[in-house]
Amino acid sequence: MEVTAKTEDGKEIYNKQMHYHPQATTCRDTKMTYGAQWKTQYIRDTSLQPRKPKKETIEIDLPKGVRTADVTVDLFYELVNPSMKFPIQTVHRKVTLDR
Amino acid sequence: MRVISVVLLLLVIAIPFSSFAEKAKTLDEMVKMYDSSSCKECHEEIYMQWEKSHHARPLMGVREGIFLKGVLSSAFAPKDIKKATKKNFPCFKCHLPQALDAEDAVSAEIAQAVAAGDKAIVSKLQITCIVCHNTKAILHRLQEGQPEKGIVYGSQDIAEHGDSSYKQVKKSVIMKESIFCGQCHGLGPNFDAENPYQCATLYGSYIHSYIPSGGTQSCQECHMKEGDHLIAPNWNDAGTADLLSDTILLDVQTLGYEWLRAKGDLRPKVVVNTTISHKAGHRIPDG
Repeated sequence: MEVTAKTEDGKEIYNKQMHYHPQATTCRDTKMTYGAQWKTQYIRDTSLQPRKPKKETIEIDLPKGVRTADVTVDLFYELVNPSMKFPIQTVHRKVTLDR
Repeated sequence: MRVISVVLLLLVIAIPFSSFAEKAKTLDEMVKMYDSSSCKECHEEIYMQWEKSHHARPLMGVREGIFLKGVLSSAFAPKDIKKATKKNFPCFKCHLPQALDAEDAVSAEIAQAVAAGDKAIVSKLQITCIVCHNTKAILHRLQEGQPEKGIVYGSQDIAEHGDSSYKQVKKSVIMKESIFCGQCHGLGPNFDAENPYQCATLYGSYIHSYIPSGGTQSCQECHMKEGDHLIAPNWNDAGTADLLSDTILLDVQTLGYEWLRAKGDLRPKVVVNTTISHKAGHRIPDG
């Protein structure tokens, strides 16, 4: 998932990626690895669990003088490597402090 | 008597889980033994779904790669690919079960094809209809025996099956159960080789997370609706993205306000709350 915030004129003021997946090593060192022939044990699992929503709270401090932000949240599935992406959901929100 | 029972038990366990009397000596022989193309004559729609599935290219991965190549540079790599054996390919257990029932010479042929990047050969190595509807159809082998030669296993008994080699359909008691898929879609580390290895853990997630949380659906109820043998997703067609967006949902709530850090120190802030939920009966990602 990638959260991006931009000013009204398109300048990026925030970007954060979160990765949800099980992470394994060979158990012979501390390096994460892919490939069934190497993986031997999960050491961490941030994946999306069944029947258990994954919740995040992201706080974005706006730069001085900025009172409106265009927020985009992209959820995608990366297969094999980061360049192989399947889009899942994209949500845009315009957030302003002005009333 | 007890000794005889133990010997008999060991013999049953040692017998390969196959209905073929002869072992394939060459790759071509193995491909021919497990060829399911005759199924297409009567089950055309199902066959065409299967052809687009991952089961039809279990050694190719996505976008026509050859994932098995990685094994040839791993701890399992043979010193000489011309002398590769089944022990060099723990992946065969699920990605090509018929290779476990073939002579080691077949493994050597596969190793050479993989090393050469020969997609024409590697693409012929498939989880065919016979693998699921015969080889993998019986799990309770101590009670029900081995899969029988000339029998195709399905969800019901059919006395006459119009195929020259597979003339009868017998009911497999596990065909509609999640454990059937669980045979390959894994639990965790495999300890049956000289080095541990870990592939899919999806069935482990199903039984340890989905079921305890109250889930009741089987793998087949979600992935094989109306008998669909594409068993989506296949990661190669537009349906994959549709399935993902139908299954994985994202809710976004936002708030803009000025946080009071200290007297006179208002800080403009945007809060984004996200909730990802999904309908799958297993962790995402897994396989």
